[in-house]
Amino acid sequence: MRTNFLPADTRRRILWAASACLASVALYVAGAATANPSTPALLPLPESKPPAPAMVALGKQLFFDNRLAGDWGSSCASCHSPAKGFSDGKPLSAAYTSMEYFRNSPTLINMRHRARFMWDGRLDGSDPGTAVRDMVTEAHFMNADGRIVQERLKQIPEYVKLWEDAFGKGSDPYGPRMFNALGAFMQTLESRNVPFDRFAKGEATAISEQAKLGMQVFNGKGGCVQCHNGPIASDGKLHRLGVPEHPDLLANPLRTITMLRHYSTSGMPNYMAARTDVGSYAITKVQADVGKFQTPSLRELKYTAPYMHNGVFGTLDEVVDFYDRGGGKGSQLKPLGLASDEKKALVAFLLTLSGDELKVPEPSIPDLQVRGNFGKN
Amino acid sequence: MSQSKLQALLAVAALALAAPAFGQGSVKAAASVPPLATLGAPSIPKDNPQTPEKIELGKKLFWDARLSGNGSMPCVSCHLPNLGWGDAGAQSRGYPGTKHWRNSQTVLNSAYYNKLFWEGSVTSLEAQAPAAAEGPVAGNGDSSVMEMRLRFVPEYVESFRKVFGSEWPRINDAWRAIAAYQRTVITDAKQVPFDRWLAGDKKALNASQQRGMALFNGKAACLQCHNGALASDQKFHNLGVPEPAAFKDDALLQITHRWQQYQKGLPEDKYRDAHIDRGLYYVTKNPKDIGKFRTPSLRELKVTAPYMHNGVFTTLPEVIDFYNAGGGKVEGKSSLLKPLGLAAQEKADLVAFLQALSMDKPLIHDDPKIPGDYQPLPTK
Repeated sequence: MRTNFLPADTRRRILWAASACLASVALYVAGAATANPSTPALLPLPESKPPAPAMVALGKQLFFDNRLAGDWGSSCASCHSPAKGFSDGKPLSAAYTSMEYFRNSPTLINMRHRARFMWDGRLDGSDPGTAVRDMVTEAHFMNADGRIVQERLKQIPEYVKLWEDAFGKGSDPYGPRMFNALGAFMQTLESRNVPFDRFAKGEATAISEQAKLGMQVFNGKGGCVQCHNGPIASDGKLHRLGVPEHPDLLANPLRTITMLRHYSTSGMPNYMAARTDVGSYAITKVQADVGKFQTPSLRELKYTAPYMHNGVFGTLDEVVDFYDRGGGKGSQLKPLGLASDEKKALVAFLLTLSGDELKVPEPSIPDLQVRGNFGKN
Repeated sequence: MSQSKLQALLAVAALALAAPAFGQGSVKAAASVPPLATLGAPSIPKDNPQTPEKIELGKKLFWDARLSGNGSMPCVSCHLPNLGWGDAGAQSRGYPGTKHWRNSQTVLNSAYYNKLFWEGSVTSLEAQAPAAAEGPVAGNGDSSVMEMRLRFVPEYVESFRKVFGSEWPRINDAWRAIAAYQRTVITDAKQVPFDRWLAGDKKALNASQQRGMALFNGKAACLQCHNGALASDQKFHNLGVPEPAAFKDDALLQITHRWQQYQKGLPEDKYRDAHIDRGLYYVTKNPKDIGKFRTPSLRELKVTAPYMHNGVFTTLPEVIDFYNAGGGKVEGKSSLLKPLGLAAQEKADLVAFLQALSMDKPLIHDDPKIPGDYQPLPTK
């Protein structure tokens, strides 16, 4: 069973989500004609306990600060830009200076509801601090030594103040807490004022008639809900769709370099022979996992094109056509036989899962200052 | 006979032969240490033999920015041939976004050291190269990234296959090739006045230089530590070299200073009061080693200013003044340092002699042709 791969708390959450779904299916999913009653349904985003405001204030500064990168060449916001739905708008993401990455930069919106992080699902969704640490210290992302970054923060009086607000007077900037503060800020990035959520809570006019038809397709003939369910429209599991490779993966050697290097450091056998993105297999080394990727959320699609783990589809129409064909080579999907108006309705419905644009103005970044107490650290 | 035993024997023989030649200046100290001598060929490790192809590959890699984190910091960026194979800064420039806290040492004659870095933390050039290329305030490269980059450059794939017999370039072989290249960056004795003098050319040193040599071996007692062919005992001494003022007024240096204490594994109280570079102590954690640094060679000083582990002295007269005063004022200073009472002319003579330990013309290597762009891998 796939879920044995997941930590116990995640498994519990999935079970909880599944049981919660059963209750809500009856509430609003009129279109779920052919859905298996045991299939979890799409749910409105639950209310979340806000993270500690002082942690968030600190984390927000750090999010935009390029001194978290080894060479000051990028910040978290470089590949997770507020202006691009906390993604970077590119099919395959940018990377550390002089490098290029081999997968799409996923949005950070609603990350607090994710079961796993990374397209190959290698990180635990309940631990954003570890994911942040991976991004800051990973050679192809920000390539920083975490201990240097913590010493940098100590030269910024404004940050020392924010730090003490968050962690107590006299407490020192320190790697793990720094990553957790960033995680706290990211946890505040949640969908707002989403038409689907309003509809699910009883506001019948929150989505159009076309979108309602699309919802029926989503839950029924389209079978989308099989994997895109729960509060963020993701089952948190890994699936093989046979998404075509992005041609740049092999055509641009910089991208193949980061891919094969990721495989080599993951301990994947025979990594030099790989010419496609093997997805989860690099992590699990289980043959059945070749080409499997995390189910992404369908929230905020309006702001987060292009789509799929490699950004190979620029529009939702292309994505829907892909599923309609039954996916690509080696796919676990089946052809859907959707009519043209069903496809249009499905896209209309998908867009009701996007809320107001999340605007986070970039804060001003204070300069490093000389510390006058040299030798008294 | 092992290489080291052979060297020891040669040193003793050289002492016996050369000591009389130094004349009146050689005081009793010289009896227990090897005299200055001409460098022989560097010893070559059995597991990394020199070949022309390997040396040529190593030279390219020394210049290739792909062997750094962000593709901007090859070995040569802090070890420039036309800056004495150092970078001419007091403290080395460091990786972008950082500053290094110590002086970039010359690569010239690094082949002869049995330990490298100012605190002697590695014992071979093969180990030094990755430590620099991966060090967060130096190259900040990730070994697996650097290795993978090389595999996408067909010319490197071909060269590594020829030189090392591997299907794909391996990063440890890159360090081996660089080490092999560095073993060619050595002094040519024929171009060094002092070595020509030792070889019998009595005109090679002028009168001032000869007086300086006598001082070096005698009154100034430089030979106590700067001895043997390398003019270094390869041991660690605390001279009380002043700390650079920059640590008090440069935020980037302060960051590196604290980071070094932290990442070198000091306990918290030592981190909290970090105000000096503790040198060898970081390796041994023995309080007796605080402030000790490995004796550098005195060869090629003409091109390797500024001087000392932190580059705090810009000129040789400053260095001589420092020793003349008996070194710095710190606890634990070496008992070998005492005020020397050198007159102005004696100091000038000493500087003249030190300069005679450098080649007439600096050793410069032209830039190699770096292999071209990355290429896609062949598809099956």
